[in-house]
Amino acid sequence: MSTTLRILLLIAAGSTAIWILYKIRKLKVKMEDAIFWIFFAVILFVLGFFPETAYWLTGKLGVISPANLIFLIMIFFMMEKIFTLSILVSQLEEKVTVLSAEVALRSHQMKDDKKEEEKTAAEEKKD
Amino acid sequence: MNKILVMIPAYNEAENIEKVVDNLIENYPQYDYVVLNDGSTDDTRKICARRGYNFLDLPINVGLSGAIKSGMRYANCYGYDYVLQLDGDGQHDPAYIEKLWKCMEETNADIIIGSRFKTERKPFTMRMIGSQLLTAAICLTTRGKYIGDVTSGMRLFNKKMIKRFGYDIHYSPEPDTLAYLLNCGVKIEEVQVTMHERTAGVSYLNLRSSAWYMMKMLFSILIFQWVRVRVKEESDVHNS
Repeated sequence: MSTTLRILLLIAAGSTAIWILYKIRKLKVKMEDAIFWIFFAVILFVLGFFPETAYWLTGKLGVISPANLIFLIMIFFMMEKIFTLSILVSQLEEKVTVLSAEVALRSHQMKDDKKEEEKTAAEEKKD
Repeated sequence: MNKILVMIPAYNEAENIEKVVDNLIENYPQYDYVVLNDGSTDDTRKICARRGYNFLDLPINVGLSGAIKSGMRYANCYGYDYVLQLDGDGQHDPAYIEKLWKCMEETNADIIIGSRFKTERKPFTMRMIGSQLLTAAICLTTRGKYIGDVTSGMRLFNKKMIKRFGYDIHYSPEPDTLAYLLNCGVKIEEVQVTMHERTAGVSYLNLRSSAWYMMKMLFSILIFQWVRVRVKEESDVHNS
């Protein structure tokens, strides 16, 4: 593993961690969603700081070079994130649908109630 | 007398909610209450509507912290001075509200926790080991402040806390917020209470999600709270 790659990994790890922590400070992300990125940063850091782990895993998995292994790990993480995000988007879409249906229903009910009130008020006036 | 609002978050509590709210209405009419129906899929909403309870009906399930947030906004909107959180499953006895409120008056604290372990020891179960771990994490990060029952759902908040909990993304009604608030100079006290076992239905926090819950809390207490902006609270003794 070249020194350049190692330095790149360390920079990526550092900037990921700092960026997500900054977003927490700015109230832009929920803390539970930041845990994934902290893990991501830690793994990049380990690979960059202790290249032996990369070499060891390379041998175990039968990948040709540690650089390929790093690609593999990155792709794995991205896939996992895309998968969970995709599910989350589906759930959010469903929630928006239900929410708009409920808002429509409730405003309709409010209108009905108002009409009924006016009706009874008018009848009382007549009497 | 200051205005106390009892808020009752309820998610699928059809079997319990009637008992809890009726008890409150009959025996403790001095308190206002609001039921927060968190998008229940069972008959909770129907029961509340039929019985004419005062309730906020959230159209979708947003989770406990979302429900609490809407309750806090309700309290702020209607100008309540204190909010008491009471679970909708009948675990908490409203008889203790008086005791909690007295403690708040005496100690001038911002949050009073109805604690199962103020004077009594924690039993040795998986759940309580988790609870003890969080107590230790809070103790470690707040220079030795001890909270026995960090996960207790029976809490009394004052006006300052109502404003904080209603309008900030990070304020969940969970132990990590307690740690953060302690470091902001917010005063938290505990009062010994006895809780009933839940009689029916399932808990908000099921066993499957407990590991994830613990991880969230530990990350939040040990790491994330250090990057959050600390909104300091001066303890004004001459308050009210």
